[in-house]
Amino acid sequence: MSTNHTSGAGSAVHAKKAEIFCKDEARVDWHSKALWMLREKRDRAASSIPEWEQLRELGSQLKLHTLTHLDQYLEEFEKNCLANGIQVHWAKDGIEHNQIVHKILADKQVKKLVKSKSMLTEECHLNPYLESHGIEVIDTDLGERIIQLAEQPPSHIVVPAIHMKKEEVGELFHDKLGTKAGAADPLYLTRAARAHLREKFLSADAAMTGVNMAIADKGTVVVCTNEGNADMGANLPKLQLHSMGIDKIVPDLDSAAVILRTLARNATGQPVTTYSSFYRGPQTDGEMHIIIVDNGRTDMLQDKILAESLKCIRCGGCLNTCPVYRRSGGYSYNYTIPGPIGIAVGAQNDDTNSIPWACTLCGSCSYVCPTKVPLDKIIHHHRRLKAKAGKLPYGKRSYMPLVGNFMASETMLNCSMSVARTALRILPGAMLKPFSGAWGKYRELPIAPKSSFETWFNKNRGQ
Amino acid sequence: MSSKQSILHALKRVAVEPQAMPEINVSPRLDDVIGQFETNLGAVAGTLHREAGLSGLQAKVDELMAQGQQVISTVEGITGNRTIPETAHELRDIDYAVIPGDLAVAENGAIWVNNKNLGHRITPFICENLFLVVTADTVVANMHQAVKQIGLESGEFGVFIAGPSKTADIEQALVVGAHGACSLNVYLT
Repeated sequence: MSTNHTSGAGSAVHAKKAEIFCKDEARVDWHSKALWMLREKRDRAASSIPEWEQLRELGSQLKLHTLTHLDQYLEEFEKNCLANGIQVHWAKDGIEHNQIVHKILADKQVKKLVKSKSMLTEECHLNPYLESHGIEVIDTDLGERIIQLAEQPPSHIVVPAIHMKKEEVGELFHDKLGTKAGAADPLYLTRAARAHLREKFLSADAAMTGVNMAIADKGTVVVCTNEGNADMGANLPKLQLHSMGIDKIVPDLDSAAVILRTLARNATGQPVTTYSSFYRGPQTDGEMHIIIVDNGRTDMLQDKILAESLKCIRCGGCLNTCPVYRRSGGYSYNYTIPGPIGIAVGAQNDDTNSIPWACTLCGSCSYVCPTKVPLDKIIHHHRRLKAKAGKLPYGKRSYMPLVGNFMASETMLNCSMSVARTALRILPGAMLKPFSGAWGKYRELPIAPKSSFETWFNKNRGQ
Repeated sequence: MSSKQSILHALKRVAVEPQAMPEINVSPRLDDVIGQFETNLGAVAGTLHREAGLSGLQAKVDELMAQGQQVISTVEGITGNRTIPETAHELRDIDYAVIPGDLAVAENGAIWVNNKNLGHRITPFICENLFLVVTADTVVANMHQAVKQIGLESGEFGVFIAGPSKTADIEQALVVGAHGACSLNVYLT
């Protein structure tokens, strides 16, 4: 069963959860390096096409256009789907989504469902819901299957088991799939998963996938995978279901082409995903259902800055480049979607009110985003929203106003900086370190200059 | 109010000013599109056979059948030892599938396959190995050109296939052959 990591430990703030991850320093380095490798591949793929920046701009503009005409496009999409023999359902939230899915499956007496990766169904907590109604749900993306067997949630939106080492996967597979004890070769383990999941595909009663894009003027959904698991699912049983957020709409095939060109390049550095499948109707004698889900998206559209986070195409590029994500792991974010985009779309539901601060505002995420989502600006905006709502995290609520007054007074600031410089020069570090709080926990104290910058400036550059 | 109506109603209050649809006009790279295609197909772990043609492919298929492999072909002029079965599930033991591609894309090595040429939609995914046949004059420069040409009628299914299936979900180690075909060979005619 999939677990919902947002419950239970809900009151732990990001820093506390990150501390758990950071206990194993070697693993943190390994995690950071694995993700940086993806970032480097992304850079090579992006620079290999001269029109990369043009595609980012087009991606941004066409998504903004769609988001500001979403009502028209959704109605057009539904009309065209119906004409193609596809059944369309609308869900205002996760609960309604799960009920719709269950009803479709129950009507056909489905006992076994094969699912391909979908962050939306994670967001709605579909798996535990269906399992509680007696339906077996099998996640079929290899990474998803690994974490499902380990009873963990995904820690990354593209590579969900990135936090696990191959030895750990080997042990898990030995336990659950009967592979050789001690085997850790990725090829051997992948082949074992292939054989295990093939049986599931061939015996499933229905298949469910997420949606990468929904093309309004064709009434078509596009699903992208490298493994082919979505297609092995959707094309075997006669019943196929697709869950999509309202933000997945694009106007036409031309728009889809722009996004297909950037999605995989920015995610893993591939020129395109292995399979980009276009479903424009059910198979012969089959049924195809699409569930269109809001779940808070229309609320976000009513805030000018938050609205732009819905331009996201879920490539995961911002996670791979984020220095905080790479060193704190996906489980520290208190939300299904971690990293910069997780903060952007999840901060308003964060009961710890801490994740907007799990960010250095370095802007690297915005710089790599293929649709120019202004992530750092959105995260900064979330901090303001939390402050306005009186929900600053405990420490910040008490000392930030004091810091504000202090910084605003030139005399007080100059005077205390002068004291600090002297203290740093003459007093031992061990004595001063307690005053630096969390900042000094993993850092050495700085070497203080003899005079302030202001003194230096007045002497060398001043009039 | 139904959920559909409440969603559409909420969408009347989008805070962002309406934006115009941009004009999508990207210059294609037209130099040596076949060469570009070959390079990019290689990058996604596929192999291009430029010279062999249909007779070369049939010779390969004959050799495989002599080894006892199960081969199904939907390409005119290529004969396998299996025919399209009644149900999709009966394709579970296919070793090689030979399928025509409608067009190929130079910038990323992808080939567009339409369900009209598949027998069952599952054919290119369930086979252990895949052969695709592409006509040289259908190779286009980029995805913008490709989507202008793909035929996708109402009720149909089509897929861009770029290489054999693959995964890197275990410690980022690339493994070719996840759930779909474990190898892809493309024959140019």
